[in-house]
Amino acid sequence: MDYEFGQEGDQLRSDLRELIADRLPPDFLGAFTDDPGDLAITQRFCKELAARGLLTLSWPAEFGGLGGSLWMQTVVREEMWAHHEPRGAQYMGVNWVGPAIMEFGTVGQKALHLPALAAGEEIWCQGFSEPDAGSDLSALSTRADGDGDGWRISGQKIWTSYATMADYCFLAARVAGSGDKHDGITLFLIPMDRAGIEVRPIKSMLGPHHLNECFFDNVWAAPDEVLGPVGQGWKIIRRTLAYERVGVARYARCDRLLSLVDRELEGTWDSLAPALRARWSRALIKVRVARLLAYRCVAAQARGEPSDALASVARVAVTQCDQEVAETLFQVFGHQSLGGARSDAPLHGALEDHWRYAQASTVASGTIEIQRSLIARSALGPS
Amino acid sequence: MDLALPPVADEFAVAAERAVVAMGGMELARRAEADPTIRTTEVQAMLEKLGVPDIDPRADVDSAAVAGELCRIAGRHVLPFPVVGSVMARPGEGVPAVLASAPPLRAEHGDLFDQWLVHDLSGDVGEATPWGQRMGDRLAPFTTDLVRQGPSRPSDLVDVQYLYVLWASYLLGVVERALELAIGHVKDRVQFGRPLATLQSVQFQVADATVAVDGLRELVRFTLWRVASDPGHALADALAARLQSLEAAQSVLRLAQQLHGAAGLCDEYDISILVRHVQPALRLPLDSDATSDLFFEATRIHGFESLFSSRSDHDGRAR
Repeated sequence: MDYEFGQEGDQLRSDLRELIADRLPPDFLGAFTDDPGDLAITQRFCKELAARGLLTLSWPAEFGGLGGSLWMQTVVREEMWAHHEPRGAQYMGVNWVGPAIMEFGTVGQKALHLPALAAGEEIWCQGFSEPDAGSDLSALSTRADGDGDGWRISGQKIWTSYATMADYCFLAARVAGSGDKHDGITLFLIPMDRAGIEVRPIKSMLGPHHLNECFFDNVWAAPDEVLGPVGQGWKIIRRTLAYERVGVARYARCDRLLSLVDRELEGTWDSLAPALRARWSRALIKVRVARLLAYRCVAAQARGEPSDALASVARVAVTQCDQEVAETLFQVFGHQSLGGARSDAPLHGALEDHWRYAQASTVASGTIEIQRSLIARSALGPS
Repeated sequence: MDLALPPVADEFAVAAERAVVAMGGMELARRAEADPTIRTTEVQAMLEKLGVPDIDPRADVDSAAVAGELCRIAGRHVLPFPVVGSVMARPGEGVPAVLASAPPLRAEHGDLFDQWLVHDLSGDVGEATPWGQRMGDRLAPFTTDLVRQGPSRPSDLVDVQYLYVLWASYLLGVVERALELAIGHVKDRVQFGRPLATLQSVQFQVADATVAVDGLRELVRFTLWRVASDPGHALADALAARLQSLEAAQSVLRLAQQLHGAAGLCDEYDISILVRHVQPALRLPLDSDATSDLFFEATRIHGFESLFSSRSDHDGRAR
């Protein structure tokens, strides 16, 4: 047993913190605030990470990575999430779009997308959820009808983060002629500027860019834009969701915010109610447990044995920790916490930002109920 | 980064589980209530055969992991012997150790040894001997009062930390077994024409318990490593493991017993034995709320290492 990242990991973490402190404003709250300047900051930052080889550190060198270990990628992920994800939407490319293309893509698809992703020049959105296919994702009804040697895609996607800025959509659609819910689902890699795609932003408590509707009206898809075998997309979706669930290291942000508030409260702990101190104590432990469960998934991936059930256990722990820490921090500061970014709220509005996002954490990437179902299926066997 | 248990600990756990099951598993706990002498004639003898007296968790990380697995297996069967205290005996001395709060000092199976080392929560350690009979109650069949003998001296913080985390490992075994029992029951038990396991409300409870058990397992292993790799400087870590183990045990045991229905209250079912016999381990030396207070104080004094604690923030080291 050894829980150290080693000298290489420690150095990487230290370098990243230095880079973040140097390139990001102290009140930075991520790419997707009401200030478009924040988005521009992340795009510059992302390219700099890419130039240093840090964006896709664990990818093989042939695909534009450094061939680093998944543990080094974990260090990057933790530092990015802890500091309000200055990779913006690009974290998805690193975490699951690229790996899915590496595993299931053609030579041409790899050549087209992987170098661009590694360079921080390609943004993706995920076209999975639909108005009538949320948790029941395999009920999706977006159609892909054969047209010559290609396809015509029609349907509606929803909750599609980053769709207004994305270059490509990782799109799930159903091909005709299949009886089973899972068979027939096919994945397409579609440029978002293609004719027939319309994106409509949805106003939400999360701020701009997070939630959109996407309409696909007879959108052309060429044969070389199909990822993996036709009709075999469900397997790829499950794999990508498992990667995605581990790739969001919200526990690292909980950890950082707890430590920042801890320092800010120095000397005033005695004025906090005993019940709140107890809650704080438990929050510290929840963060540690969530992190260790996430590490268990990384270890499984490193062994070449990624597991849906392990990813779901980690996801439940991380999202519950996220919400508990958000509420605990709000309780510490009371109504002052309500102030948003660039106000005089505690930590420049970081607590308010964290609380709003935490509300989504048990819904995004598969609801907590879906995670529980996956865990139960693994524990109880098929019913 | 290597999260796997050392092979020696894995191998020991397999051997220990096999040995306990061969002797009846949780049946030993049932029999010991009727005939307490089997605790020495059968259980202690079996532990000696396994080489338990030679295990010293303080020796190195591997030994700490072996001790952790021993305690976990003991917890799985609420083995009727003071396993945690015994494995913390100083090599060659054979005097078991116990954590205790204010009098009356109490130890599980305190009657089995003439002498104990009592670490109290104020930081002192001293000898004690059994006082009176085993309580013999349903929720404390083997708990015995102790009385201090002679002067105290400052406690060894390393031993205190191991006692906390090894008890957490014991409770890990308890909740692992409770979950297994619950899963077995809901898969077998048919109501409304189908197994309980097919009901979503049951599935969600099993999922929540799985998260609790898996989380505790990772935390206990991490904490054993922390205590072993930085001896004497992991009090907050050890208390965190203790607190988490208490809270996981409360929730998982309640849920596992509930899923058994009325059967879960009957000693014929292992879950009833597990729930009854583990109660002292959930209350001694302190219950979860009091442990939470201790943990909070420890974090104020010693800090609590994390990705962003003071030390890691300066040198980039994360624990």
